[in-house]
Amino acid sequence: MPAATADLHSPARTPSGIIKFTNCRLARNKRLTEEDLWLSSITGKILNCQEAFYEHRASPDRTIDLGGRIVSPGLIDVQLNGGFGFDFSVAPEEITTYAKGVARLNRQLIKTGVTAYLPTLTSQRSEVYHKVLPHLGPSGSRRNPSDGAESLGAHCEGPFLNPVKKGIHDASIFLDAPSGFSSLSACYGAPSLLRPTSPIKCITLAPEIPGVLSCIPALVDLGITVSLGHTDASFEEASAGISAGASMITHLFNAMRPLHHRDPGIFGLLGTTPNSATASTTGGAGPSAKPFFGCIADGVHLHPTTVALAWSAHPDGFILVSDAMALVGLRDGTYDWTNGAKIRKEGYVLTLEGEEKIAGSAVTLVECVNNCLNWSGASVAEVLGAVTATPARMLGLEGKGCLEPGADADLVVLEERVNDGGWKTLEVDQVWKFGVKVFDKEQE
Amino acid sequence: MQSRAARLIIRDDPQAASKYIADYVVERIRSFQPTPQKPFVLGLPTGSSPELVYKYLVQHFKNGNISFKHVTTFNMDEYVGIPRDHPESYHSFMYKHFFSHVDIDPENVNILNGNAPDLEAECIAYEEKIKQAGGIELFLGGIGPDGHIAFNEPGSSLKSRTRVKTLAYDTIIANSRFFGNDLSQVPRMALTVGVQTILDAREVVIIITGPHKALSLQKCIEGGVNHMWTLSSLQLHQNPMIVVDEDATLELQVKTVKYFKSIERVATELGFEQILPSEAHTSAKRKSIVEELHSPKSNGPSQNQLLAPKPEISRSVTPDLVPDRMASRIDEGAVKGLQGLILAELPLQPMGARVAQLAV
Repeated sequence: MPAATADLHSPARTPSGIIKFTNCRLARNKRLTEEDLWLSSITGKILNCQEAFYEHRASPDRTIDLGGRIVSPGLIDVQLNGGFGFDFSVAPEEITTYAKGVARLNRQLIKTGVTAYLPTLTSQRSEVYHKVLPHLGPSGSRRNPSDGAESLGAHCEGPFLNPVKKGIHDASIFLDAPSGFSSLSACYGAPSLLRPTSPIKCITLAPEIPGVLSCIPALVDLGITVSLGHTDASFEEASAGISAGASMITHLFNAMRPLHHRDPGIFGLLGTTPNSATASTTGGAGPSAKPFFGCIADGVHLHPTTVALAWSAHPDGFILVSDAMALVGLRDGTYDWTNGAKIRKEGYVLTLEGEEKIAGSAVTLVECVNNCLNWSGASVAEVLGAVTATPARMLGLEGKGCLEPGADADLVVLEERVNDGGWKTLEVDQVWKFGVKVFDKEQE
Repeated sequence: MQSRAARLIIRDDPQAASKYIADYVVERIRSFQPTPQKPFVLGLPTGSSPELVYKYLVQHFKNGNISFKHVTTFNMDEYVGIPRDHPESYHSFMYKHFFSHVDIDPENVNILNGNAPDLEAECIAYEEKIKQAGGIELFLGGIGPDGHIAFNEPGSSLKSRTRVKTLAYDTIIANSRFFGNDLSQVPRMALTVGVQTILDAREVVIIITGPHKALSLQKCIEGGVNHMWTLSSLQLHQNPMIVVDEDATLELQVKTVKYFKSIERVATELGFEQILPSEAHTSAKRKSIVEELHSPKSNGPSQNQLLAPKPEISRSVTPDLVPDRMASRIDEGAVKGLQGLILAELPLQPMGARVAQLAV
């Protein structure tokens, strides 16, 4: 049909389900670019707008003027222990209440801008893993926007950790891996370490614990990201972990050896250069790539300058994590924690009662983004990359953490403000999941 | 009132020239009052000069001055054999610089498909589509440094229609900068509207900026109609307008530049823009005049008033050149000293014939 006469004869066009964001700045490839974004509320994906225009002759059903606000991919938190009163590590007698708790958390969490995350388990007894892991696997396959935030798989932080750097974990349940991979299977449950059903996406372990190092390649083969943490590893031991396939450091600086000029420890991995054999005084070949690392920018776990230092050392591997506990969103006070311990909450500072140790945090991820924005000197788009593109790349996820055509339309609309003191903040105005708006600050 | 002559508009820089065109196009579309039944049919180019025009058109749209909802577009050309979404395709250019920013209906956008299974059929269909859309109301264009319009490179027939065209070697070399300086990546062929396709438009508006286009502007304005400078065919068009920057006039004669500047100045002083009135306006007027001519009572002096529209502009008329022989201009007296010279023109005959006579 001749295009010019189509107007005359075609009936009213059927809805295309296409939504166009206009007058907005897209956080894309570490830059903010003034571009439109097209997405489909039917497929829940970001569209190649040029293809939609020419190939499908499609016009947007709705054009949304965002008034210059920032559109970022939905935030991804790779270390979240719980929130809104729910703790992933607490297995109730009745497991259906656990599943309901997870579902409720997902619907709450998404309002903070986190559209996908790794539900994180601190060191637990074997039976807890057996019980709860089946409920923490990837949950996005239904592609249902009203489900809220999506699990990308569980993050098991322990129990193959070093008691010297236990943090607030219960060291009495830490394990060695005398029989290698079988020890891991016995702990997490065999089905949890099988392809393709494995609910585990990430495991934090200490490479110097007997039997652990040799398990790393098999875990990586399963598609599991291996992260080094709660470890007393020397630089050489840490390097061996990276060479074996580990690709991340769990909450850098916390629960590990501090940087020493004669033994840089794990932090030394960020000084790795492509030909770092010479960098190692012992002559052993160093790993070829710098690992990713988590960073808790809550102002409690790390000094602001330390955050800036970490950013400068390796911005492409820098991932902001909240490490938030169940108490996010609850009132200040003392709360029961696992294994009979108690946690005190004051603001977003959590301490283990009796030991005055930092016990995770109670910050939201966007608060970490704001802190980092002011401390590191990085641009808005660069810092947003630390909670979107970088974690997606670390987890090997395509279609998350970016605004490229074909990616899931998980989005946050952010308002940028600067107060009188020059403090910059991003506020979550809207959250979109699979192409559907699930949160709007104006309507709350 | 408007001049039915070539319009050459000269502006200080490419920005001002582009803005003039954008303002003009917007004005034309608005006064046309397009509807779904009667869309404004616009021919469009790609290239670095038009890029600025699009920028100003988008600005007009964003300021709410214009809607492209009922505008149908036909693009001039497209490469053969590169993917539609290739960053250098003209589909991508148009999307990036214009279509993505305005409210145009994708159903109304026409660009030749350089990946069509039957390229010839694609070209024939394109001409048909233009016809069915009612012809092109305004064709916007740019030119190459060799004076080509669309991909109608030197030597193209001035009667050409939409067709497959092999690119000149110069063009391939010039384009290689867009393909990583790799000659092997540059398309060798393109689909393009013909010169006649452009001339069929009711109005043709051309943007020419930069010193590297000065020679081709000179050839097209001051030279004769010539297929080596295909834009010169515009001299045969009823309503052409060329908008240029100062740099593009470098090769023109001073008097040419002054002439066109004076026309624009006088026109402005008299209070009219050099804008083509809408077809509806012109045909209504023509109709009423024709009626008057044919009505019996129109005989008499009153007819003159109808034929002479106000306000009248007067400008010096270039005297017509009367074709004559050189010999006729020599006066009788001068001829006296030239006894014996044959002043009559030599009859046409082969050289050989003359050689034979002398030699024998």
